[in-house]
Amino acid sequence: MIRRFVERGPARAEGPVQPSASFSAGGRHLSILTDTDRGRTILCEAQPEERPWQRAPPGSPLELEHGGQVGGYGTFSFQYGPVAYGVQEAGAFKLATYGERVVKAVPIVNYKKRGIEGRVAGMKPEDALLLLERSAGHFSASYSTCFCTAVEDALGLDVPSRVLWDRAVAVELERIYNHVHVFAREAEAASQNVAASQANALGERVLRLNAKYFGHRYLFGFGGVGTSSADLGTQGRRRELLAGARAVAGEFAGLMDGLLSSRIFLDRLQGTARLSKEDATRLGAVGPAARGSGVEADDRHVYPAEPYHDIFVSLETEREGDSLARLTVRAREVQSSAMVLQELLDRMPPSGGVGSRGDGGEDFAICRTEGPSGDLIMALGLDGQGRLAFLHVRPSSAANWIPFAISLEGSVFTDFQFAYESFGLSFADSDG
Amino acid sequence: MWVLRGLRKGILTTGYPGKGLAPDEVPRSSFPPTPSADADWAKGGGLCPTGAIQGERVDAGRCVYCRRCKDAGFRFEGPAPGPMASERAALARRVLGRSLHVLVLDVGSCNGCNMEVLNLANPYYDFNRLGIFFTNTPKHADVLLAVGALNKAMVETLKRTYESMPEPKFVVAAGACAMSGGVFKDTDGFASPLGDAVPVDVEIPGCPPTPLQLLDGLLLIGGRRRAP
Repeated sequence: MIRRFVERGPARAEGPVQPSASFSAGGRHLSILTDTDRGRTILCEAQPEERPWQRAPPGSPLELEHGGQVGGYGTFSFQYGPVAYGVQEAGAFKLATYGERVVKAVPIVNYKKRGIEGRVAGMKPEDALLLLERSAGHFSASYSTCFCTAVEDALGLDVPSRVLWDRAVAVELERIYNHVHVFAREAEAASQNVAASQANALGERVLRLNAKYFGHRYLFGFGGVGTSSADLGTQGRRRELLAGARAVAGEFAGLMDGLLSSRIFLDRLQGTARLSKEDATRLGAVGPAARGSGVEADDRHVYPAEPYHDIFVSLETEREGDSLARLTVRAREVQSSAMVLQELLDRMPPSGGVGSRGDGGEDFAICRTEGPSGDLIMALGLDGQGRLAFLHVRPSSAANWIPFAISLEGSVFTDFQFAYESFGLSFADSDG
Repeated sequence: MWVLRGLRKGILTTGYPGKGLAPDEVPRSSFPPTPSADADWAKGGGLCPTGAIQGERVDAGRCVYCRRCKDAGFRFEGPAPGPMASERAALARRVLGRSLHVLVLDVGSCNGCNMEVLNLANPYYDFNRLGIFFTNTPKHADVLLAVGALNKAMVETLKRTYESMPEPKFVVAAGACAMSGGVFKDTDGFASPLGDAVPVDVEIPGCPPTPLQLLDGLLLIGGRRRAP
């Protein structure tokens, strides 16, 4: 998450190393590699040969890997989207089929490519933050946390512990409402309408908590470089927030028990869009998608920066790799996030204290944040006037498009929504 | 079993638009600034990153609710969406006074507006009770509810969707991005405000507009809005 977890190294480091992102800055090619076993992020100058993240959006490189021609007797392809209720967003899929089964699926993400990286170059960090928060509105707290931490790290700022803890509270609330939302969408797709409505109501309650304590339903604008405007000043308010979040988590557990004993619901999810552990590792899946396949990847574990360094976060994994496994991971994470919130809010440091960082900046920083759908990476450089020289974002969805497309092969069309929602993908969260 | 579970929860739905709002229902994510008596317009304009405060007026369509102008004496209370052109409003009242079928079209949003539009269906807002429904095809739609900063790649799709809707048809631009481009107005992907591509009847400011504001804007078509 912060500098002490970043090493500079050669392209080929020892041990199991995953390429995670690649970008150009100042005429140099840089790659970010992940060493999950040792909890290190390795920055190297050369481009490694295997670059799965580049096969992610938008379309063309993926099609190459898939082979431009999709063969087989009677196979045809069509485009699903961008005006499609099932997708909800300005995005589309090119699906190849010979009738009922999906032979190949290619996501097309350029319908909402905004070019945020290009726009923010030369901007002041606080203005760039406005764009980044609105890059993917439902992951706003993760984006804001990741960006602000990276800027502080590049500047070498002393940041009060309290600010870091406030951000963690926001990120955990965001995780809860996103997981609940995914669950509601899955229940809706399976026509479990009572469960879907109740889950939606729980999601709305978390949004109202966000509004009350952070000033915005989607947590826009609470964070800033070195500051936070969260309203968690008194013990009483923290207790209220905690009680609200725990009530939601408790009711959600009841709802989950009810649904997971419903054979109709399980039938739609079990065995749907299976992603093997090998594929998840090879293709660099992140977040609940990776954990559902048994990969132990969670930034809060791998890079335990403050406040996660002394808070217990349970690492939830499943082995099956199907939609049910991903949903189970999410359901358990709602509970574990509620427990993390309890620790965060009970032990919240007083405002004004100084955090453990601030050892002189070097105008360059990498930050990784575990958002609701997984690992979000930002690498940025500052120029002499404290403006952004460049910014590179590797959103979580960008890492998961290929694993999703691979897992969908062989599924029937009615599995589509169950698979899509379980990965927690978003077209907005693919725009670097 | 699910029936019982449902009944046990009681009624969560808001009294809006029939009754006033409960304190915890007051939307808290998207009120463009209202100047207080001692507001400093020049300072507010300097603090505003999107040019929503210009001279001595507030352009709600540009406000992204960043709250920076708080320091210049601005408060955040909701303006109502609209108003509609009167002949369009009369037409809407005549043909759509009781029920609306809405096609939601994302033309490049951050997903925040999409989430709030989906939230219209949750038990707290339950837009079905007001005769408003989502539809999946432009052929069945009375209203095109567009969200997001219109992307160059979506202009053609937007126009074709609008053309395939039957008459009479109405367009709602929801959110600062659809109205003005918001923070994305200078990005490479941004094409134009929605109103430059298709005729817009109702604009709903906000970043993102909350479900109550969306409901308010939709009820404006058909003349069913009451003051919240």
